[in-house]
Amino acid sequence: MLLIPLLVGVGLIGAGRIVPTPVAHNVAGIAALITFGLAIGVAIERPSVDRAWLPELGVRSSFAVDGISIPLVLLTALIGVLVVAHARGEVPDGGSAATFLGCLLLVVGGALTTFTARDAILFFLAFELVLIPMWVLITRFGDPHRPPARAEAGWRFVLYTAVGSTLMLVGILLLVASAHSSDLGRLLEVAPSLPRGRQLTIALLLTVGLAVKVPLFPLHTWLPSAHTIAPTAGSVLLAAVLLKMGTYGLVRFPVALVPEGFGIIAPAVAIAAVISILWGGLICLVERDLKRLIAYSSVAHMGFVVLGLATGSEVGLQAALYGNLAHGVISALLFVVVGGLKRRWGSVDLGRAWPALREVAPHRGFLLILGLAAALGLPGLAGFWGEFLVIMSAWAPRRPGLEDLFHVCAVLAAIGGLLAAAYSLRVARLIWVGDEPDTPAPGQSSEENTPLAPDSTPHVLLTRPSGDAAVDVETRGVERVVLLVLALGVIGLGLLPWLAIDIARPAVQLVLGGAP
Amino acid sequence: MSALLLIVVSAVIGVVVLLTRRWAVVVRALAPAGSGFLALLAGGAMLRTQAPETISWLPSIDLGGLFLPLDLGTSRPLAAISFVVALVSAAVQIYSTWYLRDDERYPVFAATVALFTAAMFLVVHSRDLALTLVGWEVMGWCSYLLIGHWSRKESARRAAHKAFLVTRLADVGFVLGVVGLATSVGSTGYAVVLRLWAEPTVCDAYGCVGPNPVLRNTFLVLIIVGVLGKSAQVPFQDWLPDAMEGPTPASALIHAATMVAAGTVVLAGLYPALAQAEVARWVLGIATSVTMVLAALLAMGQSDLKRLLAWSTVSQVAIMLSALAAAPVILEQQPGEPPAVGVPPGPALAIVPGAALFHLWSHALFKSLLFLAIGLLGVIAGGTTAALLRGAGMRTRLGRSAFLIGLLSLAGVPLVVGGFSKESVIDTAYQGASQGGPGLLVLLALLVTVVLTASYSTRAYLVIAELIDVTAPVEAVGEMSESRRQRRSESLDPDGRGAANAVLVTLAVLTLIGGLALALDLFDLHGLSWVWTLITVLLIGVGAGLAFALGRAGDPGVRFAGRRVALFDGGFGADTAYRALAKPVVHLARIVAFVDTEVIDGYVRGAAVTARLGGAVTERAHRAERLRTGGWLVVLGLVAVLAVGVFAWR
Repeated sequence: MLLIPLLVGVGLIGAGRIVPTPVAHNVAGIAALITFGLAIGVAIERPSVDRAWLPELGVRSSFAVDGISIPLVLLTALIGVLVVAHARGEVPDGGSAATFLGCLLLVVGGALTTFTARDAILFFLAFELVLIPMWVLITRFGDPHRPPARAEAGWRFVLYTAVGSTLMLVGILLLVASAHSSDLGRLLEVAPSLPRGRQLTIALLLTVGLAVKVPLFPLHTWLPSAHTIAPTAGSVLLAAVLLKMGTYGLVRFPVALVPEGFGIIAPAVAIAAVISILWGGLICLVERDLKRLIAYSSVAHMGFVVLGLATGSEVGLQAALYGNLAHGVISALLFVVVGGLKRRWGSVDLGRAWPALREVAPHRGFLLILGLAAALGLPGLAGFWGEFLVIMSAWAPRRPGLEDLFHVCAVLAAIGGLLAAAYSLRVARLIWVGDEPDTPAPGQSSEENTPLAPDSTPHVLLTRPSGDAAVDVETRGVERVVLLVLALGVIGLGLLPWLAIDIARPAVQLVLGGAP
Repeated sequence: MSALLLIVVSAVIGVVVLLTRRWAVVVRALAPAGSGFLALLAGGAMLRTQAPETISWLPSIDLGGLFLPLDLGTSRPLAAISFVVALVSAAVQIYSTWYLRDDERYPVFAATVALFTAAMFLVVHSRDLALTLVGWEVMGWCSYLLIGHWSRKESARRAAHKAFLVTRLADVGFVLGVVGLATSVGSTGYAVVLRLWAEPTVCDAYGCVGPNPVLRNTFLVLIIVGVLGKSAQVPFQDWLPDAMEGPTPASALIHAATMVAAGTVVLAGLYPALAQAEVARWVLGIATSVTMVLAALLAMGQSDLKRLLAWSTVSQVAIMLSALAAAPVILEQQPGEPPAVGVPPGPALAIVPGAALFHLWSHALFKSLLFLAIGLLGVIAGGTTAALLRGAGMRTRLGRSAFLIGLLSLAGVPLVVGGFSKESVIDTAYQGASQGGPGLLVLLALLVTVVLTASYSTRAYLVIAELIDVTAPVEAVGEMSESRRQRRSESLDPDGRGAANAVLVTLAVLTLIGGLALALDLFDLHGLSWVWTLITVLLIGVGAGLAFALGRAGDPGVRFAGRRVALFDGGFGADTAYRALAKPVVHLARIVAFVDTEVIDGYVRGAAVTARLGGAVTERAHRAERLRTGGWLVVLGLVAVLAVGVFAWR
């Protein structure tokens, strides 16, 4: 399962322009499908591989899955299939299709390795492996309109996350050195009994390092630029896969291995998480670029996830894992919808008027509103359970003496939910139904704004002389299929919450069992 | 099982309708037929249901410290509410096949209505706070879609936006209340939650036994905040009249049976706990008392009759909720003996004061009748402002009679369903008043409201029956009508409305005989007091007389409001207040965005600049080929290494 995407990815990149585009598409598509099939197999069979790799260092190439990683493995493999399929309809300029697809597969393969690695060092290597193809995706295949911004976003992404990774590496090395093992299973037995001071150091290093990836306020500023510039497939991978690696790391390392140390910094983490929620939500109220807006909403949603982790209770952990998964599907959906819009319209500036999607592209409009509804936490869609349960868990945290702090966090998180509603509706009003500019002149009430005769309004909407806004933006072909799969995912996760929760329960209890 | 069927079938209808939206014929057949079937099903369930029962349908969720049973349940009053919901929904579906005949988005509308109904069924039958919240939020979202249905109108877009945001703001309270109530017992099931929170707190010299009263009040006040938002009570009242921008059938659905009434159902479910929370009852009592009088006043002065009905909804829902605030604390209960301990989840409902739910039932009947009737009149007249509707009733006898029956019921004239239910609320408040609590306040407010309701009902009838001349005074009416008119409906054919007529007749008949619910003993009420009936009749007479007196020289509403009609239409400036509240948030957002790019990102860029500077300096140092620089660097390096060595060695 792991080898296929990695090998095919490397092969495609190496072959570069030699491979004709259709062949590249087919090869990548088949590889992604096989990977997905194998991922399902792995999820059912739960095999484990354990081989010595670098015996001198005691590093083993050990892979296994449990309830925490299975949903993420499935999500990653599915997203892999979808992005490769999506590329059929849309390969951005900047290089050959083979390179593009190869990079996509490499990211997927690296992420899968991250989620299945049972060895701390291996985890780190896989974690880093993802960086380079992602950087290629951003700098070479990014927004063709702005080359300098592309380079800047790419550099920022790599350097920012590399700094985080360095901290994490130090943390992991310290952990491994203290516990004399790099096997996660063994660490789970040994590490929680480390002395308090050592635990604190490790937890601090690991948490800060991973918080960059999540991203958590105030380490989030790489995300919006990366998202804005990256091609659609890149944005989807970023949101649905890369960010998940951050939270997955948080669960596997600080929360599980050094619970006492993490307990000490938990209040700080919770505060940062709540600030993320509010910060992201507030910026979304005024942000003008739709892709950036979704990126900031990611910051807010990941804030919920981290808040759940910080509570240290089983409810919180479950809620965080669920929210993690839900965010992967929702943001993937939104990025595909908006990415398609941006490609056709040329930009998605909310400051100018756009035709109402509901009118000109009902299908895309429906998917947009579905994604927005899910993003604001509408029950029946994926986002609700994660957020609701996180607030629940924050009200009853397993942090003695910190109840008041977490109560405040719960209240603020609930207000963050309100902000999510506000910005989702703002987008809906601007793109889905409306055609008014972002900021009407002050003192002008909305009633005065609409003396338009309703009979003529549709024509006004369709033939307004707004240049590229008149192009057809309805979803087509592969893009539509990809979107439908994601939409089904959003609805499925919303209606059947117990599936993922039941799968994760034993693993979650094991992780928390290590806590004192 | 019927509860489960109702929810699932209704949701499935929604999905199927959405999938078959290309074939309008299918939708036109499916949506009314499906909803009609549901109404029959719910009717059957209502007559069959005897004892409360619980249905476990979903696998429950166990999260370690928290258990979500996700149960449903039913009981006699709930089955009755469920029936009236199904009925109104069916009426709306059938009616809109005519009303939205020319609307290209009709299938989406029908699907949303079906989903909306499913969510309401879920709220009614939920025995789990999490499920209640699910239904609650889904309703909010569906109302957003329905209000904004005609999204080419800016006013509709704005109204939908406002409705959702205002209710969502209040829902922050609801969510926190649910979270608070549930986490303290580790379960979201009503039974478990009530087992703790319905227990009276008994204090003696040695301390208190029972739940913390402060927490109980806090959580319930939070829930009440959510309910006030959804039910458009003060201070969240202003979204509902604006929601009139939606198609009239949608208004009928939102006002009559679902959204605004949901709060009553939820609070009735939590009543055993509410009865013990004095502060929460006061909050509810004060808010509803203020609302019912204010909304009735506003209804009187509206220049648009549809908005008049909207304000009357606000006022009537306040009456329902006030019955919960003012009800006497359970009489059967012995002190120290908690009502919910050891009993299965259902029976907790048996002690709910039936008056609130009974008024919900009757309000659902007559308000859907009123809305659908005014939809018809509006089509005939080309708009729903008082000026346009003048005399519209003379052109359709059916419309006029239906409207009249609805208004009689709204005013609370005895022997019509609204009369029965309003008097039982008054009776409840009277009994509650004798126990202290907010009962007295509520009772006074109720009596004032009865007068006002009678007079605005009279006014509405006078207008449509052309018994008065409304065009004469005040130019403001004309101005408002321009923006509020529903020009879309002008193109509708008033003829060929057989289905709509049938719906109106059915609802009118049910409004006349709906009081039979009392005879069927659906709501656990104990008869009515003749004294209060008499007093009510007198007050109604006063109200109607007032309207007639004012109406001798024109529209009584306009006479009443005078030159302040615009103020009344604007809901006393609540909208401006909302906007003033939202402004600081946007400002804050701008500041945050600025800080984000300039400060938070600043240190990132700063790091880059430092790195580049450092790189430049070192590069310079390397490029300099003077031995001396290099030598100094070597020395410096040696010193550093030595220092490290020394410190590390020590």
